[in-house]
Amino acid sequence: MNERLVLLKQRMRAGEHKRLRQEQSIELLTECEAEGLSWPRRVARLVRRQCEAEQVVIAPEEKIVFTRTLPSVPPVYTVDEWSCLSAGRTLHELGPVSNICADWGLLLSQGLLGRREVAAVTRLRMADDQKAVEFLDCAIDTIDAVLDLTGRYASKSSQLGREDLAELLEAVPAHPARTFREALQSLRLCHAVVWLGGNYHVGLGRFDQYLWPYLQSDLQAGTLTVAEAEELLAEFFIALNKDSDLYPGVQQGDNGQSLTLGGVTPDGSSAVNELTRMVLCVSRDLELIDPKINLRISSQTDLELLCLASELTRKGLGFPQYSNDEVVIPALVAHGYDLQDARDYVVAACWEFIIPGRGMEVVNIGAVSFPAAVDQAIRSSLAEGLGFDDILSRTAANIRQQVQALAEAYSILLLPPAPYYSVFMRGCLEQGRDLSEGLQYNNLGIHGACSANAADALAAVRQFVFEEKSLPANELLNALQANFDGFEPLRRQLDENGPKVGSNDERADGLLVTLFEDFASACEDYGQLPWGGKLRPGTGSAMYYIWLAKGHAGMREPLVAATADGRRNGEPFSANLAPAPGVRVRGPISTLQSFSKIDYQRICNGGPITMELSDTVFRDPESIRKVAMLVRIFVQLGCQQLQLNNLNVDTLLDAKAHPEMHKNLIVRVWGWSGYFCELAPEYQDHIIARSLYQVK
Amino acid sequence: MTSGIVFDIKEFTVHDGPGVRTTVFLKGCPLACMWCHNPESQSIQPQVIRTPTGERVAGREYTASELAGLLNQQATLLRANEGGITFSGGEPLFQAEFVAEVIDRLDGLHVILDTCGHAAQADFLLVLARSDLVFYDLKLINRVAHLHYTGIDNDLILGNLQLLGESGKPFVIRVPMVPGVTDTDENLTGIARTVEKMPGLVEVDLLPYNRAAGAKYRYAGMEFKPDYDEARPVSFNMKIFEQAGLKVKRV
Repeated sequence: MNERLVLLKQRMRAGEHKRLRQEQSIELLTECEAEGLSWPRRVARLVRRQCEAEQVVIAPEEKIVFTRTLPSVPPVYTVDEWSCLSAGRTLHELGPVSNICADWGLLLSQGLLGRREVAAVTRLRMADDQKAVEFLDCAIDTIDAVLDLTGRYASKSSQLGREDLAELLEAVPAHPARTFREALQSLRLCHAVVWLGGNYHVGLGRFDQYLWPYLQSDLQAGTLTVAEAEELLAEFFIALNKDSDLYPGVQQGDNGQSLTLGGVTPDGSSAVNELTRMVLCVSRDLELIDPKINLRISSQTDLELLCLASELTRKGLGFPQYSNDEVVIPALVAHGYDLQDARDYVVAACWEFIIPGRGMEVVNIGAVSFPAAVDQAIRSSLAEGLGFDDILSRTAANIRQQVQALAEAYSILLLPPAPYYSVFMRGCLEQGRDLSEGLQYNNLGIHGACSANAADALAAVRQFVFEEKSLPANELLNALQANFDGFEPLRRQLDENGPKVGSNDERADGLLVTLFEDFASACEDYGQLPWGGKLRPGTGSAMYYIWLAKGHAGMREPLVAATADGRRNGEPFSANLAPAPGVRVRGPISTLQSFSKIDYQRICNGGPITMELSDTVFRDPESIRKVAMLVRIFVQLGCQQLQLNNLNVDTLLDAKAHPEMHKNLIVRVWGWSGYFCELAPEYQDHIIARSLYQVK
Repeated sequence: MTSGIVFDIKEFTVHDGPGVRTTVFLKGCPLACMWCHNPESQSIQPQVIRTPTGERVAGREYTASELAGLLNQQATLLRANEGGITFSGGEPLFQAEFVAEVIDRLDGLHVILDTCGHAAQADFLLVLARSDLVFYDLKLINRVAHLHYTGIDNDLILGNLQLLGESGKPFVIRVPMVPGVTDTDENLTGIARTVEKMPGLVEVDLLPYNRAAGAKYRYAGMEFKPDYDEARPVSFNMKIFEQAGLKVKRV
């Protein structure tokens, strides 16, 4: 990294840009009320007024501009109007459309004026369709607002004598990008305005695919060197990190600014290019939490690329996260996606596979709590003197019930209009439809959370109560009721000697598979949602590994007390696909073998196998290559998604005690990386606990 | 069929040889090195380890086919990733027949024998013939010092080293660097002299001193009593080997 970049990064981390932020957010309700604006018009007005209120910020060292100065997104309805509007409907999280992915290639290849022209043509064609006309007017208005904002940036650039910038901003985002710098600048502005309009978890899609043609032609023409390209890229990445504190998320860093690299082209050949490697190198050297990188791989992926990716893991960034094309693409096809679209998949904010520009999918509507399903089945069946098969069938019924409840709730999902975001989706401007009315793919995703603990609990009951008959049902029930108080030897027996997921032990893994099969069947049997989408089951846990154990305001799922795997009340569950916390497993390869048994053709919503490697693994220079081989084993075993961490427990403990000394310490939390010292203590503690049972 | 006592099986042991490997730690060792960082490996009997987080038994009996079956579950993956199995300990040659039988049952896997060399000649040759690479620990060249620090003289060790040298089998000399004991110029020079003419020698690895051993002794109900100064920094005098024309590295 050169001095300019070091300076840019330092200033960003020191938060110098935050001093430029305006104190007040804008007020919108008065004009919306006075003019009696419709919902789409209010959202378009919001984008317009936000763009107008933005103050132009151009730092002398910047080659790509836009710094957000507005501190928040104002409401477009009063609290009362909003509760009227949303009465009887389900809102996803905060309400606005989130966690989908635009087709940024549309912006770069057509420019905003090109997109505007498409809207104008459709408007003429659909002049009789009031709803379409309103949507298109809204979309055009937001495009104009962004162009006005760009115009103000261009004039200021001229005033400052920055002719390079003024020229750049004359060209983009209005027109199609011609160079790598233009493409990055266009993307920077248009992406930032999506956030400014209140949408969140705004992903960057297949970054190395839609940007590569611009970089390639610059390099071929000799107008840009590799070093200059890397510098532009680094500047772009630093800019993405500026507003993390303004983004909504469960914890800071949970912001979905992820991008996807590698994979295959629409015809199935390798899509890896020079930009793939450049993004990895720049991200490795910058050591920032954004953008979070997903790398699509297959058994054909070069070990050298996996080595480069493992260098990021060594840095402790918690990414790249890997997904296995050989598993993901056929699974998407099996779920109704066109082959070409499936080959174009990206990873959403955390793990879920979505198609850029073609999906209005809500991939994280909630989680099936496996621990709750299993725990209720165990307790009720044992109390009634029933057998293990009854426990399994009750578990399946409980899972089914949870799936149905979630699906019912989301059948009445209310999605706010998003005319500006729609500009970058396939078919919206062409058909005069807001993305909230649906795109080509409109499925819902549900995760199956905390599966390892749930399978372990079943395995322990089967072994000790039914097979060995060494544990009377009553005693187990009393012990669970008492949170193992006075039953410590029994708790240790369950905890230490029961079969556990993660050791390639069929006694536990078979039950893990059963849980996911039950889950998949429940989703498949639910069938079509009112608008035609389906349910996609996944393997993530998000924050549920903490919430299901400790509770959280507004949580739908029930709290789960002590469980039959020997887990005490309040102790966290396993995150994503990982052995239960504290379990001694045979090793990382056995763990991959355990999780390879899940049928990922049915369980296709994503959710990574999550592994902690000790930093001592990386002591040896050869170790990078070995970590790369471990990633290759993940593919060879036919697993779906993998996320590796490099942790040093002493560093984490010290960071908790002396946060001021570790401001830049990055950790992976669930589907995202954040700064350790900015996390709530319960998330910090879970990471410390994870690191105690890592691979050394 | 023979059976043996194993105290741990670790996957993805990145410091135990090429590629992706699994290391089998056999229990029981004829030596009792003062600095041993696996005290629970010394006795061949299973024993209880008490740590702050609970109790566990170190040591489990496997039949040769049981252990080979377990290892073969990952054979395809290990072969496809340039790896294999490392037999370590304790001292694998302490259960030479068992180890040989396990190797015979492996599914074409690359094998490393990680040994201290103290074994009957026949036992050494039995396993050597079945190994692809040998990690040979050489601690002290001085016979008296060896007796003092390990509880046993080094006659068998140096004798088997000659056999290894003559066999032409590739091997790595591994020297545990103990401050003031094995890291002296005199000892390292002695080691270099002993191995410099052996054609199979791949390199000399100098292993870092592990200061965390003390706690493991308590957990195993044993006493840790070094008579050297643990706090003294280790002297890694690589030049001694380089000047002898040997490849040397700190691992």
